[in-house]
Amino acid sequence: MDLQSNLQPESGKLEQIVSQFLLKSLHIILDSRVPSLRPHDRSGDLSLGSQVRKSDKWFNLVLGDRPAALDNLNFWHRNVMDPMIIDVILVHQGSNSPSMAVGGSVETVIERWVVQYEYPRVVAAQPSESSAYYKKTYKKSIILLRALYSQMRLLPAYRIFRQLSTSSRTYNFDIIYKVSSFSDPFSRAEEGMMEEHSFPAVEAYPGRLCISVTYRTTLSDFNLEPSTSMPPKIITDYVGSPNTDPLRSLPSSGKGVSATSFTLRGVQAPAPVPSQRPHSWTSGFHRAAFSAQNQPFVGSPPAYYPSPMPYDYPSPPAYYPSSMPYDYPSPPTDIHGNRVQHYRAPTHQKAISYDDYQLSPPFSPSPSPSSPSYISNAYPMQTRVRSETAPVSIPLPMTSRSFRHLSPNSSDPNRSSLPPLSPRSRRTDPSSQESPSGITYFRKIESLRSGEMQPVTANHYTGQKVTRDSKDDSGRFSGLLSSSGSPRIGFSRSSSRLSFQDEFDDIDFSYPFDVDDVDTSDFHASQNLDGKKASEFTSQSLPIGRKSQDAAVGELVRMLRTAPPLRQDPSCYSSHSMKTELEGGVATASGFFMPRKAVDALEELRSFRDMKDLLLSKSGRVISKEEA
Amino acid sequence: MNCEVCQLKELEVEHFEIREVLRCILHTIVFHRALGLVRPKDVDLELFDVTYVQCGDVELEKKIDEKIEHFISWVEKHPNKKSQICLSFYEVKNKQPYWFTNKIERLYWEQWYINLNVAQHLKAHSSKSHNSKVVVDPGEEERIARRAAVEASLREVLFQIIKFVNEKKDHVPPIPNGDGVVYFPHEITIPRKFLSSS
Repeated sequence: MDLQSNLQPESGKLEQIVSQFLLKSLHIILDSRVPSLRPHDRSGDLSLGSQVRKSDKWFNLVLGDRPAALDNLNFWHRNVMDPMIIDVILVHQGSNSPSMAVGGSVETVIERWVVQYEYPRVVAAQPSESSAYYKKTYKKSIILLRALYSQMRLLPAYRIFRQLSTSSRTYNFDIIYKVSSFSDPFSRAEEGMMEEHSFPAVEAYPGRLCISVTYRTTLSDFNLEPSTSMPPKIITDYVGSPNTDPLRSLPSSGKGVSATSFTLRGVQAPAPVPSQRPHSWTSGFHRAAFSAQNQPFVGSPPAYYPSPMPYDYPSPPAYYPSSMPYDYPSPPTDIHGNRVQHYRAPTHQKAISYDDYQLSPPFSPSPSPSSPSYISNAYPMQTRVRSETAPVSIPLPMTSRSFRHLSPNSSDPNRSSLPPLSPRSRRTDPSSQESPSGITYFRKIESLRSGEMQPVTANHYTGQKVTRDSKDDSGRFSGLLSSSGSPRIGFSRSSSRLSFQDEFDDIDFSYPFDVDDVDTSDFHASQNLDGKKASEFTSQSLPIGRKSQDAAVGELVRMLRTAPPLRQDPSCYSSHSMKTELEGGVATASGFFMPRKAVDALEELRSFRDMKDLLLSKSGRVISKEEA
Repeated sequence: MNCEVCQLKELEVEHFEIREVLRCILHTIVFHRALGLVRPKDVDLELFDVTYVQCGDVELEKKIDEKIEHFISWVEKHPNKKSQICLSFYEVKNKQPYWFTNKIERLYWEQWYINLNVAQHLKAHSSKSHNSKVVVDPGEEERIARRAAVEASLREVLFQIIKFVNEKKDHVPPIPNGDGVVYFPHEITIPRKFLSSS
C-alpha cells in the first residue's frame, strides 16, 4: 500500500496498483448500488480517528468494511489483465405480468461497469524514472476513483439504490449484481436505451487503467414502487394447522404449523421455473425461481444476491404467504399431504429426493422415514445459502437419525431454491458474525441433523458451492465466495422485502428441540423481543461451533432459561412472536419444530388464537381471515 | 507550472438556493482535489434530488460554510444578477527569505469559477397575483419547473466538474504526506471584477 516505499520491484508495484484498483472500484460500485452489501449505515460522518484498516487506505479512500465478495475477487479474477465487468441488475416485475404472477420477475441490467487494465498492443518506451512514474499513476488513480465515487451518485440508478437501502418499506424491486470477466453484449433495443460514459484513462505503464459505464438513462420505464400488495395477515388455516387437519399430529404446537408451511414453501421452491436462476424468487416475485433443474445452483445463477437473507432461513412459511401472496399460487389451506403431492412432480429432479418427502411434521419423533422428510424437505432448502452471518449453532436435540435421509446435499440445486423469504438487506456488517437467530439455528440444526451436513458456518457452505463452481469462468459466483461471516451466496440477495428480514431472523426456525414448551417459548419470546437484539443475543449466547449436540442443547437450554422473560406462558410467547413479527409487517406463525403430540398441537392452536386476538387488538389491521 | 482554469456552467438560482448549491459545488471540487486520506460522506441536498460527496472533514466544512456566508452577504449588498465565486488551489513557494520580509509566493495551479445568476424575487410575487381564481397555482407549477431546471443544471455542473477533474490531472502537484485528510491549500474568493461593478 505504501507506494512511497521502493522496496518492491516496479512490476510488483504495478500489479499491486492494478489489483487494488480493481478491488477498490468494485467496492465503490457495490457499495453504491447493492443495498444488501452495505455493512452499515454511513450517513453519519465517520471520523478518521477511528481505526482504518490498512487495506482500506488504498487510494486514500476509506470506504469501510468490504463486502465479502471482494475478499474472493482473486478467486475468479485470476488475471488482472482481464476486464472486470460489473453488472448492476434490477430485478423487477415484468411489465406484462401482474404482481401476483408467479415467476413474473424480470432482470434487467441497468448499469454495466467495465474496469480494466488495458494492455496496449504496442508497448511504449518505459518511463525513465519508474518509481516516480508510478507515484503519479497512483495519484491519478486516486482522482479517478474519486470521480467514480461521485459519478455513482449522479447516475439514475443511485436513486433506486437509495430507496432500497434507506427506506424501511418493501419494494417491488431489488438490485443485485454480477461480476465476471465477460458479459453478454446488450441487445440492440437495450443499447438504444443506454448511454455510455468513459472516464479518462490513467496511464499505468505499460498499459492504462480504464473505467467505463453503460447505463440506462432513465428508470422510469420500470414500475418501481413500494410494494403494497401484501398486507401482513395471520394465516390461521395454514396447511397442516389443526384447523385444516385436526388429526394430524403437529410436530409442535404452533411451530408445527410454521414448519409445515415452510416446508411447503420449500417444496414449492423447486417448482420448475423457466428461469434457472435461484435468485429469481428472491424478491418473492417468482417463487418458482428455484427450479429443481437448477442443479448446480451455483452454475445457473448468474447474479448475486448478496444479501444473506432469509432464503436460507426456515422462515415460517405461514407468514411468507401473507407477505407475498403471489408466492403461493394457492392458499395453504389444502391438506398438507396433498400439497406436497402437487409439488412433487416439479421438484422431482436431481438430487432432491422430494419424492421421499412427505408432508409430515417436521422433527416429528416418529421414526417413519417419511416423517422427517418434511423437515428435510424444508431444511435442505433452508440451509442453502446463508447470508452474511455465521450461523450460530443451534443445539439440535433431535437425533440425527431422523434426518439421515435428509442428506443435505450441497450439490443439490434445489437446496438453493429457497424459502420465499426474500432476505431483507441487513444493515449489519456482513463480516460480523452475528446472524439472525433464526437462520443460525436453522443452519445448525441442519448441520447437526445429518452427519454429513456441512459445518454450520455459512462460509463453509458457501465454500462448497464455490468449489463446485470453480470451473465457472464467469466469476459470477465470486459472490458465493464469502469470507468468513459474510456468505454471499448466489441466491441470497437483498430483498426488497425489508420488513421480512428481521422477522425472519427471529422467527423460530424449526428445530427439533427436546426442551419443554416453556423453555422454547422463552427462547422464542426472547428471540422475538427484538429482531436484531434477539439475534445478537442468540448469536452471542450460542457461539457454538462444533460442540457436541448435547453441549449445544444444554447451552441453548441455558440460554433460554436465562433469556429475558416476557411471560412464562407459551401462549404469550406466541403472542409476542406474532406481535413482533407483525410489527415488522409480517404476521407469521412462529415455528418451532418439536416433537409434540396432538395435545400440544391443540395447545398451540389456543395460543395462536390468543395471538390472533392480541394482534387484532393491537394492530387494528384486518389481519385474520376468520377464526377456525 | 500552468494554471488550469475551469469556468463552470452558469447556474440560475434563487437567493435561498445559493447556500445549498454552493456547498454542493465547492465540496465536490474539493473532494476531487483533496487527495489525502478521506472517508467520503454522502450528503443529500434538501432542495434538490442530488447527492454529493464531502470529504468528511469538519474543519473543511466549516471553512466552506464561512465562505458561503461571506458570499451571500456580499450578494445581498450587491444585488447584481450575475456573480462569481472562485475556488483556487495553489502551492506555497517560499522564496528566499529576505532580511525583512518573508516572501511567500502562491503558485496557483487550478482555479474554478462558479458562475451564479441570482434571480430576484420578483417572479415569485408576480405569479402569486394571478392565482386567486385558479385551483392549481400556476406559480407553484412554475416553481416546480424552475426547480427541476436548476436541479438539472446542477447535475450538469457536477458532471462538468468530474469531467474536468479527470481530464486534467497532470498539473496536480504531488500529494503532501501526512495523516488525516490532506488538502491542497486552497482559497475561496470573489473575483475583483465583480466587486467593483454595480
